[in-house]
Amino acid sequence: MPWLLLVGALGLVRWSKGSGFADAYALLSRPFWPGAAQREWIQASSDLEQQAKLLLLEQDNQRLRGLLALGQSPRSGRISAAVISRTPQGWWQQLMLGKGQLHGIGPGDAVMGPGGLLGRIQSVTPTTALVQLLTAPGSRLGVWIPRTNRHGLLLGMGTSRPQLEFLDKDPNAFPGDLVSISPASTLMPANLPIGVIQSVDNRAVPAPLAAVQLIATPEAIDWVQVQIR
Amino acid sequence: MGAGTDSLMARIHQQPICLASALLVPWLTLSAPAWLNLSGVGPCWAVLWLLPWALVDGPISGLIAGLCLGLVLDGICIDGASQWPALMALGWWWGRLGRRVPPIKRSFNLGLLTWFGTALVGLSLWMQTLIFHFDSAAPWLQAWGWQTCLAQSFITGLIAPLIVSWQLLIWRRRARA
Repeated sequence: MPWLLLVGALGLVRWSKGSGFADAYALLSRPFWPGAAQREWIQASSDLEQQAKLLLLEQDNQRLRGLLALGQSPRSGRISAAVISRTPQGWWQQLMLGKGQLHGIGPGDAVMGPGGLLGRIQSVTPTTALVQLLTAPGSRLGVWIPRTNRHGLLLGMGTSRPQLEFLDKDPNAFPGDLVSISPASTLMPANLPIGVIQSVDNRAVPAPLAAVQLIATPEAIDWVQVQIR
Repeated sequence: MGAGTDSLMARIHQQPICLASALLVPWLTLSAPAWLNLSGVGPCWAVLWLLPWALVDGPISGLIAGLCLGLVLDGICIDGASQWPALMALGWWWGRLGRRVPPIKRSFNLGLLTWFGTALVGLSLWMQTLIFHFDSAAPWLQAWGWQTCLAQSFITGLIAPLIVSWQLLIWRRRARA
């Protein structure tokens, strides 16, 4: 009888594909599992691979844009600048940068942070530059929805989410769609990501509206990049 | 009273430290201490400096100080709404208030005056914003205007008794010295 029970139990183990044994092994061997360091190595290798791919694609993109005589946005035209004053909310939504006219920065230059576009240079002094954030009332920027290939106008409303005014009656846009600079833009860096559509109001007149969640957040950025034209 | 006030004005204008303290307004506006804000909105430093100045120094000085502060602040902020009209009006009004009534000392009164002054500056800025961006005067813009105006006037009125009463004490003492 005991032998029969043992064989029955082992049969259950076989039927459940080692359940119990495998779990016990996992529990006992947990201290010897590959540590965080090994995971970081693999992650770093993956990041390196992605960066290399991105670099190759950018070079390819530049070459193709050159063939099509579209505006170039070379990385060499970007300079880093420290944020020396920051008021992302309130009446004036702006950043002040620690570099200005002497470093080649001029009005209208694009200001980027990790994630995408933050705003545009509005005025410069010899050593500082004032950035109008995309959220500031009065900020207007032509944008592009890559999924649908439609244009729109991004308007700052003072709130943390700018308003996107579509130019078409039927923009076919949905929450989650990426908003970026148009690939044919010559004033701003082409294809630069801006944000993600959070909600769409299809009943608005004369054209639908959308709320856009920006990718780059000025509250947490100490250094930015300025695209010099 | 006029002669006494004139001599008072002459003396306070000879106090470089009082005039130099105005430089703190653009400095604090730019530094925007993150720990001192309400709902992301900091106090209106110009109002906090202008109230004691105008109360001690009179309407003309308050008017000029309001204009000067407004011009400097407009210079360090992005283009759009301007602060100097509201600051000039406040400087004039507070200057007259300082001359016509017994000296204002109570913290509650100072807080109330700064609360009202900041609300006036905020309403002025909001109205200008609505006029400039009339085509995009969406409900979001209106909600943002209310929120900013209320938050700024509240935080300014809250810290005014500490800062303004201290400034008044020092400036009145120096003016009489």
